[in-house]
Amino acid sequence: MRDLIAEALDKARADYAEVRLEKVDASGVSYRGEKLDDIGSSRTVGGIARAVVNGGWGTATFNDLDSIGRRVAEACESARLAGKEKTCLAAVDPVVDESPAVMEKDFRAVPLSEKKALVEEYNDIVRGCHEKIETTNVAYNDRFRSVWFGNTEGTFLHDERPDVGVSLSATARDGDNVQRGFESQAGVSGFQVVEGLQEKARAAARRAVDLLSAPPVTGGRYTVIINPRLAGVFAHEAFGHLSESDFVYENERMKELMVMGKRLGPEILNIIDDGTVPGQRGTRPYDDEGVRTRKTHLIRKGVLSGRLHSRETAAKMGEEPTGNARAIGHQFQPVVRMTNTCIEAGDSSFEEMLSDVKLGLYALDMVGGQTTMEMFTFSAAYGYMIRDGKVAEMVRDVVLTGNVFETLEHIEMVGSDLAWSTGGGGCGKGGQSPLPVGLGGPHVRIRDVVVGGRQG
Amino acid sequence: MTVRDLVEMAMKRADGAQATMNRVESANVSFENDRLKTIKSAQSSSISLRVVVDGKLGSSLTTDLEDRQGVVDRALEAAEFGSPVHFRFPGPREVPAVKVFDEAVTSVTREEMVRLGEEMISMVKEYNPDILLGAGVSRSVSRHELANSAGTVLSEEATAFSLGVHGQLVRGTDILWAGHGFGWKKREIDEKDVAARAIDLFRKAERTADVRSVDMPVIFTPEGVSVLLLALRLGFNGKNVVLGASPLGGREGEQIANESFSLTDDPLLDYGGGSAAYDGEGVPHRVTPLVEKGKVKNFLYDLDAAGRAGRESTGNGIGCGSTNLVVAEGDVPFEQMVRETKEGLLVHNVIGLGQGNPLSGEFSVNVNLGYKIENGEVVGRVKNTMLAGNTYEALNNIAAIGDKAEWAGGRLLTPPVKIAKLSVISR
Repeated sequence: MRDLIAEALDKARADYAEVRLEKVDASGVSYRGEKLDDIGSSRTVGGIARAVVNGGWGTATFNDLDSIGRRVAEACESARLAGKEKTCLAAVDPVVDESPAVMEKDFRAVPLSEKKALVEEYNDIVRGCHEKIETTNVAYNDRFRSVWFGNTEGTFLHDERPDVGVSLSATARDGDNVQRGFESQAGVSGFQVVEGLQEKARAAARRAVDLLSAPPVTGGRYTVIINPRLAGVFAHEAFGHLSESDFVYENERMKELMVMGKRLGPEILNIIDDGTVPGQRGTRPYDDEGVRTRKTHLIRKGVLSGRLHSRETAAKMGEEPTGNARAIGHQFQPVVRMTNTCIEAGDSSFEEMLSDVKLGLYALDMVGGQTTMEMFTFSAAYGYMIRDGKVAEMVRDVVLTGNVFETLEHIEMVGSDLAWSTGGGGCGKGGQSPLPVGLGGPHVRIRDVVVGGRQG
Repeated sequence: MTVRDLVEMAMKRADGAQATMNRVESANVSFENDRLKTIKSAQSSSISLRVVVDGKLGSSLTTDLEDRQGVVDRALEAAEFGSPVHFRFPGPREVPAVKVFDEAVTSVTREEMVRLGEEMISMVKEYNPDILLGAGVSRSVSRHELANSAGTVLSEEATAFSLGVHGQLVRGTDILWAGHGFGWKKREIDEKDVAARAIDLFRKAERTADVRSVDMPVIFTPEGVSVLLLALRLGFNGKNVVLGASPLGGREGEQIANESFSLTDDPLLDYGGGSAAYDGEGVPHRVTPLVEKGKVKNFLYDLDAAGRAGRESTGNGIGCGSTNLVVAEGDVPFEQMVRETKEGLLVHNVIGLGQGNPLSGEFSVNVNLGYKIENGEVVGRVKNTMLAGNTYEALNNIAAIGDKAEWAGGRLLTPPVKIAKLSVISR
């Protein structure tokens, strides 16, 4: 592969060019209700050639590896047509490295029959948990991605990226009332990650049933405590995307809005992105431009202190590259993305957070989140009212929304119980989804949060 | 290699087989931050195989066209543990005529695509130079081939073309995103019209307006109608019906919406984004009425779901999803709808759709681009506003349906729809 890439790049006529080749082996098993819904496997091979000339980028993606030389030439031609300015890329030392996968139990060696048996067992648990469980959706997926990367500066990398996960979804029904309970588990260290999830299967089923009798939350403004998983989503969705420099680097207004040193929240607030946390799904030694990953403080003591970069955004903003240019597959060019994002631990206990809340909401886990930079919205999987300092009845349809900047200012307390999420899912941006990311945080208390729902 | 060869290879060990091959060549020009940023070309090819062995189904996919034996072996392995099939691969049948290939798309040069993008950007810039703009122009040509062990052999060539321009306007900490795009299988898209629609969205947002937290009438623009249709997309999906997850299951003939509301799945609209002559299982496409005058008519089935439901495939395979959804036109001009609204919202798009419990029809979304209507006039953009309701209640509370349907995206053809009352929360 290295020779193939080197030979193709030799003929590149561009300010800079790179080739990434990928081979992905994936398999999946899913059940819906009592039936096996899908079982199968896939193999994809392909590549992307990317070149920059006078600041304009050209890319060519392909499945046919024999055409690699032609595709590099095509990318260079496209770049020449697009380029009208000056190429700016942050300097990075060339590196040659290999990063093989380390798995305790290699899922590629597990026969499809065993994967099927595991999913069937979980599915039976969810189905058998309660008579009101109407249907289920239990899925296993694994993906082993081998990537070869080379560029015209002499960098050559080969790395392997395993990812395996199980999602457990239960649908309960009572007349017209249909509710879902959801749990997931995903990781990079092998098949054992998804073994022994019987208790999670039961939890998903019980939650769906419990939600049947939970009333929808009454819309309005509340003091809200979010659990660690939701805090991770908050760090990622509500704030993290604003730290991605491709939204900022050529946008004077956004630069003013996101100027370093600006106070965005209270002293107790620290948010980081860290591509080096061992065992997390967003962890890589290098990003998809061959840049070393690192830990970046986005907010330190409530003050904007860093942002995420590709080589181009770093050069244009005169900042250090951070190793955050990531692509989900060979059909895509790398764009600035988060790796593992978390709100760092504070010093409040959960009990302290609850104690002086007369009427509030405890929101847990998530079933989705979205942002338009300024506005965010995310849906908690479930929640509980807080009444007179105590966790009270369960409520459903908990959707939190608001202006990012106001909400950051409204953070009142940060818990000491930091946890990284072990769930699956991923991030979407620019048509690239899902990208494996890590999410973490402690319990966090925020005042005056708008909670969607009907009027009381 | 042909798909027929693959079926033949598989049939040495299988009782039934279907092979499809898809090849796509595409080009895309994208502008970011007011300037031409990237020109892309893409070539992709993939083959997928479904086999039936001892009444069980297995599948596999590869992009490596040389890996014929591999794709056959992996499908056969999967079939050993596969789910029982409830169908037979269909024999040869005549497919309907629908236009999905436009020669004009194939001859669009990259230079022409750059020019189209520049033109859209300069039009929006002329309206307001402070808007930071992006734009995209794409074209593709694809060829699909299908063969199965029942003797069906089909192929179809299709083109696709799309244009879009979007921008960001930052005022203080207020960030406004708006834009318009359209894509279908034909070259004919007027770049001036696309830019003019984007400008209109920005123009209506020049001022912001306050909203009270009360129930009020809501007009959904054609794009906004997607908010109401999500639950129906899921509810009419035959697989959800068979699994008992759809609240519409078993309710054929029942009234679920006002009489003014009719909805059809139509894959035979010339050049529609979801149009094709046959589906992913070689079943000829057809028009399927879903809701007629408010009553449930049919569900969408693929071969397997149809087999399980004791019905016939409606040509919505694989997966029972819709092709092009068409909402029937009503009789109220859009302008009149607005004029007759004393206090209400005009909703163009939202964020957070589908996060809650979409099958139940419940939605609770944040209005991303929406406008306040006061005394019959659009007075400004609303901010920090949530919209909540239930699709099935809303469809029984339709105040008016527009008299002119428009494509929203490439797979939905709908007029604007006014709902008499939805819950609005603001601060």
